[in-house]
Amino acid sequence: MLVAQAVSVQDTAAFGELIRRHQSQVRNFLRKLTGDLSAADDMAQDCFLHAWNKLQTFTGRGSFIGWLLKIAYTTFLQSKRKSKRYAEILDEAGYVAQTESRSYTPRQDEISDLDKFLAVLTEDERAIMVMSYACGLSHREIGDATGLPVGTVKSVIFRGKEKIRKNFDIKDHQYG
Amino acid sequence: MISKIINMVDRMKDAEDRWLESMFQSEPIADDGFSDRVVWRLWRRIWIRRLTLPAAMLIGGAVAIKPAMQLVLVGSRLLNAVPQELFVAPAAWISQLPIILFAGTVLVIGMLSARMLEE
Repeated sequence: MLVAQAVSVQDTAAFGELIRRHQSQVRNFLRKLTGDLSAADDMAQDCFLHAWNKLQTFTGRGSFIGWLLKIAYTTFLQSKRKSKRYAEILDEAGYVAQTESRSYTPRQDEISDLDKFLAVLTEDERAIMVMSYACGLSHREIGDATGLPVGTVKSVIFRGKEKIRKNFDIKDHQYG
Repeated sequence: MISKIINMVDRMKDAEDRWLESMFQSEPIADDGFSDRVVWRLWRRIWIRRLTLPAAMLIGGAVAIKPAMQLVLVGSRLLNAVPQELFVAPAAWISQLPIILFAGTVLVIGMLSARMLEE
């Protein structure tokens, strides 16, 4: 309803309400992905601006949050590519690059168990695990968001779980 | 027996999933003006887009007005240099303009009708 209103009359107030409803999930997703609060919030802002421009492409087939997280993930990947290119340019120019790698680097004084788990995962695994366990997206929605087949999503989740089990020596009886 | 094992495996998986969900859960982030900041950026973008074309037209017009005036003056001088006989023929056509327009309209309608019939 709000989406339709925002699309039909380019209603920024309706879109503002959509941001208020979903900002927490989008920012949480990007924070877990980057481990950097301010970078994640900048990306979240960019994500919502992109979402505004692409609002007409939302067909309503999946959930709105799934569609938003797809844009958030794309924004994250674009930002990563940009900073990589920036580092390359600095490198070519002979500077020692001091750019953020956008890898998972939480502050040392507030490392949680989750941070430790996320640190052993690759970027794709991290994104998919966060979408699945933190944002509650279905495998199909994750597939739509990442552009991967559902089977691949399942195997990435399986691999991620294996890594967590292996790296932290977690036995079956220790859940819960 | 096999089904019991499958059920047990499922239960184990569920327990693991539930455990992971609880690990991945985090407190909701307070808005703290975040949405207002995004909406403000959005407004700024919309207004910049809306104002860009009129502003460009104004600036372009201000820059182009002097050369344009000079062009008009040069054009009028050139027209004075053209022999007067050249203007006589077009003046004669003006009296026949309604007939020319009528013929043109009939021709266009005829062509369109022919095309419709073809289709």
